[in-house]
Amino acid sequence: MPPVALDPDRLRRELVPIVGERRLSMRASDLASYGRDMWPRMLIGLAAGRLPSELPHAVVWPESDREVAAVVRAARALGAPIIPYGGGSGVCGGTVPVLGGITIDLKRMAEIRSVDRDSLVCDVEAGINGERFERELNRRGTTLGHFPSSIYCSTVGGWLACRAAGQMSTKYGKIEDRVAGLTVVTGRGDIVHTDGPARALRGPDWTQLVVGSEGTLGVITSARLRVSPVPALRILRGFELENVAHGVEAIRRVMQRGLRPAVVRLYDEVDTFINHVPLFGKRRTGGGASEESQDEREPLARAPAPEAGSGALPEIPPREDRGAPAEGMLGRALSLLSPGAAPARRLAGRLRAGAVNAVLSRPRLVNGLAGPLAEKVSRRGCRLIIGIEGSRIRTEVEARLVMGELERAGASDLGEEPGRHWLEHRYDVSYKMSPVFRSGLFVDTMEVAATWERLMDLYRSVRQAIAEHAVVMAHLSHAYPEGCSIYFTFFAPLVDAERTYDTIWQAGMAAASRVGGTISHHHGVGLLKGPAMQGEHREAMAILRALKATFDPDGIMNPGKLGLPAMLGRRS
Amino acid sequence: MNAAAVAVEDLRAALEVVVGQVHVRRPDPRRGEPAGTAWLVQPGSASEVAEIVALAARAGATIIPVGSGARAPAREAAAAARPRLYVDSRRMCHVLHLDETSLVVHVQAGLTALALERILVPRGITLGDFPPSTLGSTIGGLLAVRTPGKTSTRHGTIDDAVLGLSAVLADGRTVHTRVAPRRASGPDLARALLGSEGRLGFITAAVLRIHRRAEARFLAAFVLPSLDDALAAVRLALREEAAPAALRVFDGADARAQLGEGICGEEQAALVVATAGPTDLAACDRDLMASAATAMGGTALDDAVAERWWRRRTGQERAPQLPAPALQVTAPPGREAAIARAVRAAVEKLEARSRVHVSRFDADGAVEFFTFVEPGGEAIAGERTGAVRGAAAQAAEKAGAVLLGSSAPGLEPYEAELKRLLDPHGVFDPEVD
Repeated sequence: MPPVALDPDRLRRELVPIVGERRLSMRASDLASYGRDMWPRMLIGLAAGRLPSELPHAVVWPESDREVAAVVRAARALGAPIIPYGGGSGVCGGTVPVLGGITIDLKRMAEIRSVDRDSLVCDVEAGINGERFERELNRRGTTLGHFPSSIYCSTVGGWLACRAAGQMSTKYGKIEDRVAGLTVVTGRGDIVHTDGPARALRGPDWTQLVVGSEGTLGVITSARLRVSPVPALRILRGFELENVAHGVEAIRRVMQRGLRPAVVRLYDEVDTFINHVPLFGKRRTGGGASEESQDEREPLARAPAPEAGSGALPEIPPREDRGAPAEGMLGRALSLLSPGAAPARRLAGRLRAGAVNAVLSRPRLVNGLAGPLAEKVSRRGCRLIIGIEGSRIRTEVEARLVMGELERAGASDLGEEPGRHWLEHRYDVSYKMSPVFRSGLFVDTMEVAATWERLMDLYRSVRQAIAEHAVVMAHLSHAYPEGCSIYFTFFAPLVDAERTYDTIWQAGMAAASRVGGTISHHHGVGLLKGPAMQGEHREAMAILRALKATFDPDGIMNPGKLGLPAMLGRRS
Repeated sequence: MNAAAVAVEDLRAALEVVVGQVHVRRPDPRRGEPAGTAWLVQPGSASEVAEIVALAARAGATIIPVGSGARAPAREAAAAARPRLYVDSRRMCHVLHLDETSLVVHVQAGLTALALERILVPRGITLGDFPPSTLGSTIGGLLAVRTPGKTSTRHGTIDDAVLGLSAVLADGRTVHTRVAPRRASGPDLARALLGSEGRLGFITAAVLRIHRRAEARFLAAFVLPSLDDALAAVRLALREEAAPAALRVFDGADARAQLGEGICGEEQAALVVATAGPTDLAACDRDLMASAATAMGGTALDDAVAERWWRRRTGQERAPQLPAPALQVTAPPGREAAIARAVRAAVEKLEARSRVHVSRFDADGAVEFFTFVEPGGEAIAGERTGAVRGAAAQAAEKAGAVLLGSSAPGLEPYEAELKRLLDPHGVFDPEVD
């Protein structure tokens, strides 16, 4: 799709009076930074030395609703697309400027306007960094309870735009459960407030119609969010269950008894083996002997500091040597293949490139072996991490009830250590992409969800669809009384990677839809899942198209996302 | 009107073809049903609704949904030049699928909530802690019209129970939103239809979250020194994460009217609470509420007070005949008592009295229910009703309240445009009624 034709001089003339010279950039280096997010398909291209081809014409850093509205109105007049941008940590290409246009980076709108500890509600601007926001709330005795692994490099606005979930969503809810209202600059250039007592109002619940719209209806500039008191007590424990089905049943029983643990993480046999077998855990092997990469020893060292200025993304380092597989995730994955050998990761380290690629190019073999072998070697099934937190008295009571329910479901208690280990490393995953790419692999995740009745079907069918093409593991980490999400992680060699990648996603999405699951639980749609939107919503896409035309009659807002066409509509 | 336009006189015959002769009739003005060009139609399935909608579009007729009859056609609509089809969904009253593993039920929109409860309760399941006064409505009616009475502190609003929705749009196409516990595949499209009062589509079925019946339930009532103290006690308990099944604060006058004379003084307030869930947790919630009430200077009332309130709330005991609340507003968090004072002052200027109870506490505010009476306690009648309510509403708004049934400020043009796009010929136009 070619970009729209925009005269740079005119663009500058229109935008400078709104944001000034210093908060507008048309420099090539800035445009290149804003041409992508963390969508692995683009990272595959980058790893092969291909820079993003779809770049914005300009980037602006507004500081108020009025400036955002003025930029949108100018864009309408110019026929320029608008791409709202938060932390750039999205993994679905949601901020890729497919037609060029003006990227609005909201990071300069990062003020916490109020925190009401009495009513447990907070007003905050959308561009605030997630970790900084949580830290500030904590200082005021409150928490949002929203802890995505990207918390260091994502913003409140980004969470709202894609219906994000945090690791403790089982207690605190997803971001759509935490939002009481929004301020939105619509594609018409109006500033509208959906906050206030939505439930008392007639007509559609506008807040819930804008949350998840990924910038296609407007720019979310601030939000009223529900907050909770900082937990006085947190109890974390690990459990073991025989297999995924037993684990699913245990979680279902806990949730349907009306209990709400904050952390619920059930790892399938492969994920349990890779991430939790003590042989391979850092804590058990000792730091000095660890062969893991620098990134994995100090994951947070790579996190952009919350105050970091313009919001450029963390660099993806070029692959050092495609032929020499590094340790870390790959080593651990390969260790699955040699379970009988003493420290398997050492054997993995000795494997040659050809052998690695040969093995990984036969994912069916690996997947076929992985489960049974993992189970056999570890002599255990699935790991479950449970965390209960909140006010002291209630948490103690709830913890007792949760533990009792798990015991009745056949879970064996592993004590506190697995929970503590998880808590210490809970944000690591967002910073593991670099070492994986350096290893000559690509990695991505697919998060789907269904009701309990369909959940094991969803697990089996999506796993099978991915396993044809990549090594795959899964965990279940966001539970509800009526169902759960499943988070698949898969990796494959960087050989013919884009084709493999597209095939995996096509097959995975089709499998999810076929068994009645949703194609996305919390990563959003972006460009990646656009083709699956028709299957997801079918005739109800008519409602989405009507919403789009209502909020954005010229079609300038983030074109091409959510399965909507990558073209501008009526021009002003 | 297009080339396939249906003449008005042929409309009945066409409707009979769709739903059968016995399911189409003229309204009977003697029964208070509207005169004019109108038919009452009772479709038996979503596909029949779709055919009726398509027929209405061709005939230039409008569709007015009828559920349990709570909003039955009664008024004359002589001004409405277009034929009207009152579409009664009550034949669509089946449970399509009961998934006891996921605690999810797929029901047709014409089933009443009460009928659904009768199916669920013997299985140890319930729709939720919703007040029984709402249960007589059809599921479609509950979902299409938003009122704060349909909320429960523990189970949220009826909107929150919707995991999926089926509806017929104005162009005759049937939409089904994807059923999932949560999604990130764009906006929650069902929310366009929930609360839309039949203006954007005709709800034909819903997939609803249901709950296991509570293992235990505890009731308690407290008297507090003032309305401010009672509201502060609620906030304190909610900050300690108490999750009551039902929670209500009464000012002195409303407490005496609703709970019994002698409960508390004029300037005092009462707090009643029901907690439910696993026994230990429900007891814990009850104790948290009691601690908060005590901390704010409250004392426990006799158990019989709370039990009577609960029996009346659940329809087990007939409530005294009292004037119904005349004004419902949503108060922003922390503004409830100030709004109550403003309303009281405004009403007293007209030599009337107001009393209030408050419930549905959340981050987007609590709901206040005002009742207005003459100084002697009798109901306000005649022209004074409007004057008192008007003055009270004005004072409440000035103090920061939002009147129930308001449109979202600033979003009216968006609602009108969404309506125009989804229903360009005004097939769904309940306003004409």
